[in-house]
Parts: sequence; C-alpha cells; structure tokens
Amino acid sequence: MLQHASLVLRDGTTLDDLVMRDTNEVSLRVMTDEELYHHEMERIFSKTWLLLGHESEIPKAGDFIVRDMAEDNVIVARDRDGSVNVSLNVCPHRGMRVCLGEAGNKPIHQCIYHGWAFRPNGDFIGAPVEKEKMHGNNVDKATLNLKKARVHLYGGLIFATWNVDGPSFDEYLGDIKYYMDQLFCRTDNGLELLGPPQRFVLPCNWKVPGEQSGSDGFHTLTLHRSLMEGGIMGGTAETIYDQAPGMYGVDVSCEQGHSLRCLEAEKTFKMFADVPFEGKSTRERLELLTPPGITREMIPQLFRNLSEDQVEQLATIPPQVGGMFPNILIAFIFAPRTDGGSSGALSLHTYVPKGPDKVEFINYIFAEKDAPEEMKRDMLQNAIWNTGTSGMIEQDDADVWPVIMKNARGAVSKGITLKYQALHGHERPDGWKGEGLLYPGFTKDDTQWNWWMAYYNLMAKA
Amino acid sequence: MTWITKSTAAPDATTIVRGLVSKARVPVGSPVYNALLETLYDEAAALDERRFDDWTAMLAEDLIYQAPIRLTRTGKTRDLDVMRTMFHFDETHESIMMRTGRLQKSAWAEDPPSRCRRFVTNVRVGECDTAGEYEVVSYLFLERSRGDSPENETATAERRDVWRDVDGAYKLARREIIVDQSVLGMSNFAVFL
Ligand code: FES
Ligand SMILES: [Fe+2]
Repeated sequence: MLQHASLVLRDGTTLDDLVMRDTNEVSLRVMTDEELYHHEMERIFSKTWLLLGHESEIPKAGDFIVRDMAEDNVIVARDRDGSVNVSLNVCPHRGMRVCLGEAGNKPIHQCIYHGWAFRPNGDFIGAPVEKEKMHGNNVDKATLNLKKARVHLYGGLIFATWNVDGPSFDEYLGDIKYYMDQLFCRTDNGLELLGPPQRFVLPCNWKVPGEQSGSDGFHTLTLHRSLMEGGIMGGTAETIYDQAPGMYGVDVSCEQGHSLRCLEAEKTFKMFADVPFEGKSTRERLELLTPPGITREMIPQLFRNLSEDQVEQLATIPPQVGGMFPNILIAFIFAPRTDGGSSGALSLHTYVPKGPDKVEFINYIFAEKDAPEEMKRDMLQNAIWNTGTSGMIEQDDADVWPVIMKNARGAVSKGITLKYQALHGHERPDGWKGEGLLYPGFTKDDTQWNWWMAYYNLMAKA
Repeated sequence: MTWITKSTAAPDATTIVRGLVSKARVPVGSPVYNALLETLYDEAAALDERRFDDWTAMLAEDLIYQAPIRLTRTGKTRDLDVMRTMFHFDETHESIMMRTGRLQKSAWAEDPPSRCRRFVTNVRVGECDTAGEYEVVSYLFLERSRGDSPENETATAERRDVWRDVDGAYKLARREIIVDQSVLGMSNFAVFL
C-alpha cells in the first residue's frame, strides 16, 4: 500500500486524488487550483534550489541583477569580497522595492521611499539623519538586513533557496550531477551568458511547461514536425513516424525529478549520418563531431575537467535536452544550420510562476567563454532561431500551453487526467557508466513521471 | 546607425541610440517621403494578409533584421536600455526565408493563424550616406487576435529601418525593432514586426 500524503484541500480533495500514483495519472485540476498554487509556493518554491542567472552577468564588485524566486523579487549582487549574494528586494522598513533597475552597478542600494540603505550582501547600513535613529531606538541593526537567501554556484549558474537548513545543492542534484557536469562543468573557464535573458509571459500555470521539462521527448515528433520538414533532422515529412528521429537514446533521471535525454548525434541529424563512429576512440569521435559549443581546440579541456567516462559519453551519446525540477529546461543542442555550420545552441529556461494562471518564460543563452567571438555570434543566432521568444521550435510550445490551460478551467475538463502510462522501467544498458534511473530505447513517460513524483514528495511535506 | 553585436552579458556594453540619426531630413509630403510611406503601408498589408511571398520580395539579400531586448534601468544608466547584446529576433535574409517557409508547412504557432493589424505611424525619413538609401523610423502598434480569445495580444515598438531604392522599388536592408516591453506580454513572436 502506498503511504498517503498529508495535503488536503478545503473541499476534501487530497494530493492522492490529484496525483494518482497507482495509475500514473495527474488530474488536470492541478493546473488551475488556486489553493494548490499557494501550497506549491510554500512547499516547493520556498524549499528547493532555484536558478537565478549566471555569474558572468555580474563580473565586478557592486554589479547586480534583479530576478524572481517565484513571486518574490530578489537582488542578486556581487560584493567587494567577490561573493554572490541573493537578498529579498523588499525594504524591511515599509515594503518598497529597494532596487528598481533590472541590472547595473551599485556599491549601495538605497530605498527611494525613506532612504534606508543596504550593502550588496543585503546588510543594513542605516537610515538618513543618523542622529535621529529613524530605524528605531533600541534595534539591533542586523535584524534590519534584507532577508538573505542561501546561495550556491554550479558551473557559474547562480542558484538560491530560502531553505537555509535544507538539502545541499549536491543532494538536490543527486545522481544527475554526473551528466549535468558534462554540460556545465566541462571547460576551464566555463560558460558565459551572451546577454541579458529574453523574458515573456504566458497565460498558463507553471506546471504546464514544467512537466514538459521533465524530458518530454515524444512531443517533438508531432508538435515540432517542422524540424523534420525543414530537413535538418533525419527523415522527411513523409517518414517522420517511421523513422522517429531523435526518439531513441538513453533517458537519464533521478528521484529528485531532474532528467536529461542522451542522444547519439549521428542518429539524430541528417548531416552527421555519414560520420563513421564505429571503432573510433573518444578523442577521434570528438574531433569528428565536437559537442555543441565546443571547438576542436577546446577538446583537451574536456579531458582536464571531466572523468574519462564522462568525456566518452559526451563524445558518443551526449546529454542534449532535459530539465531540473521544478522549473528549468535545458537545451544544449547541435542546431545544424542550412549554411553547413553546426556550432550548436546552448539555452536554459526557467518557468517562473506569476500566479496560478501565469508563468514567465526566461530564456538564457550561453556560449563557452573560450569560444571564438565568431562562434559566439553564431550560437546566439542559432539559439534565437530555435528557442525562446521567436524560436522556431519553441513558438509551437508557447502555442500549446495556454490552450491546455484554458481546458483546465472547464468543470468537466478539470476531471480529465494527464497520462504517464507509457513506462519503460529502469534498465541499465550494457557498459553504461553513470548512475541514476536509466531508460534506454524509445523515449517514454518515465522521466516525466519522476518529475511528478518529485512534485508529490515535496507537496506531501508541510 | 550601429548594428554591432558584442557578446557579453554585463549590460553596460550597450548604446543609447534611438530614432533618426541622419541629419539630411526628407520632409513630410515630399515625393520620396510619400513613396516610402506607401511602401510601409504595403508592407503592413502584406504581413497582415499573410502574403509572405509579397513580403519577402520587399527584403534585400543583405538584410539585417533585429529586435534587441529592453531592460529597466535607473540612475546614470537610466537611458541605456536597448540591449544590443541579446535579441528577440536576430535575422538574415536566409533565416527569414526559413521562417516564412516554415509558416507554409507545420508551424502550429500560426496554424490556425492569428489575425493581426499593424498600425504604422510617426514616420520620419532621412537620407543615408549611400545614395538611394533612406533611414526610415516609424512607430508600430501590433494588435494580434488569437483563437477564440476576445482579448488581443499587443506590442508597441519603434522601428529603425534602412530602405534602398532598387530600380524604382524600395527594399528593406536594415530593421531594428525596439520593443517597449522588458517582459513581453505576447506569448511568442511567431509574427513579424
Ligand atoms: S520603505 Fe524603504 S525606506 Fe521606507
Ligand atoms: Fe517543445
């Protein structure tokens, strides 16, 4: 028997009524329920690690960016000691935003309402007219600091959480780290964000794009059929379902709900079909087909920063798309161009909740810092063409999600369930080196179900 | 005009440039002004009516078509808000052809198509250094109706164009679309601006 969860909504509905663990279904109601949304804000978004940006956005002391942890606005700032700090952008005096710009450099953040001032690390400095003690007579100044979040840098990515005593970042990441390292921690100088992120708002619940980020590979064949029609992927418009390009590989996942789809490049893209991989060493394979974002000159860096097994995987069956629970999508893709280039595209999205029926899509576009300028330019273009606001792939996703959301409002439609019943079950392929939950073959629903199980486990805990 | 793209995330590698740069003004009501205004109207009609072949026929082969993102900024940087390091669109003639080609097959984002109206106003024209090229700045107000939603999605922008006289017809050689929202309220840019 499954242990039942403690979450009960006011009308008596339990978490188990919404996320049906015995039949692998989820009620469409989860997408609209206002009460559930408030529980999610407390049990998920105040508890897990959340992605806020990249170190390269704030290279110098005093540099800051302003981002959101769900509906909580925060200042992400570099202090004089080089540390990256995340503090709530809410003045402890009377609740005004302390920082009104989205990015810039400030050694001191002064609230424009009554003038209280704070350091980049959130420490309270003082209120104007010092001798009048406008911060209160007998107050310990440290209690007037901006509320500080716990910060962790991973491959330069800035993560923060309000859960000060909760799991470490590595515990949060779990077994998927081995694979994520192949994307984020593979070069000497790491990644660089190419510009401030694209931002746009979609009229849907955060979980509509969220559950897709749990490696929904299958939707590509139909929703993104223009990829096949464009002749970039293997197959043609007529043979999409017969050849099913990009469907076969190894999906990797873990109980924390993160996942990645590892795909053999030569089986995905037409232009690589003649690349002879049989009998080639890791190094030779890398020379033949460098991973997205990597140049031939950078190959020795891969061996320096990753284990031999990790490099072998990156050369043979690299992780390409996936996500981190709760709201990150990863697309580190080959993106071959019609002009013959294939420097790739490195995009990361966060889906930031803005109420039960609104989500902000933030698109971060990267290149390796050591890549030549020309390649960075090329990768920026590839990423813009394929992902985000105008991306030819993701335009279509942005079209589906609000419609699902509309459906979720109907009194009858609400009772329809999302189905995750095409399951493969964990199976370790021969010679596979990494850990985690592994699903070789045709991409199925396992990783997305793991995403929902991570959701369930957090929602079950008050 | 500046069309440089520099890859760095730190936002101060940006410029303040907006509007018309040329000092050689082409006055409202002059023959060249009128012909360019008509071209802008024809272009808007071609896009609204989804006549993409007619639209792409108006594009020069060396087209650069970009929509930089906007940031909210304060203090000394308050007007440095057009971020020419990151774009919503970053297109060439070839990529536009790829996009319009896709729209004729399976582009679910525009199938069913949205119903658009492009309102073009505040047109100012100046001569470029190259003979036969004109700098054309206009305001764009896009109303987009999608599906059965009674609320339109909208976008406002300034467009900084270069139009080139090629055998008596004007071709679009440069377009910079300066959108006004830092966070777009439109769920995608599957339509052209
Ligand atoms: S609210 Fe910030 S100083 Fe009063
Ligand atoms: Fe998709």
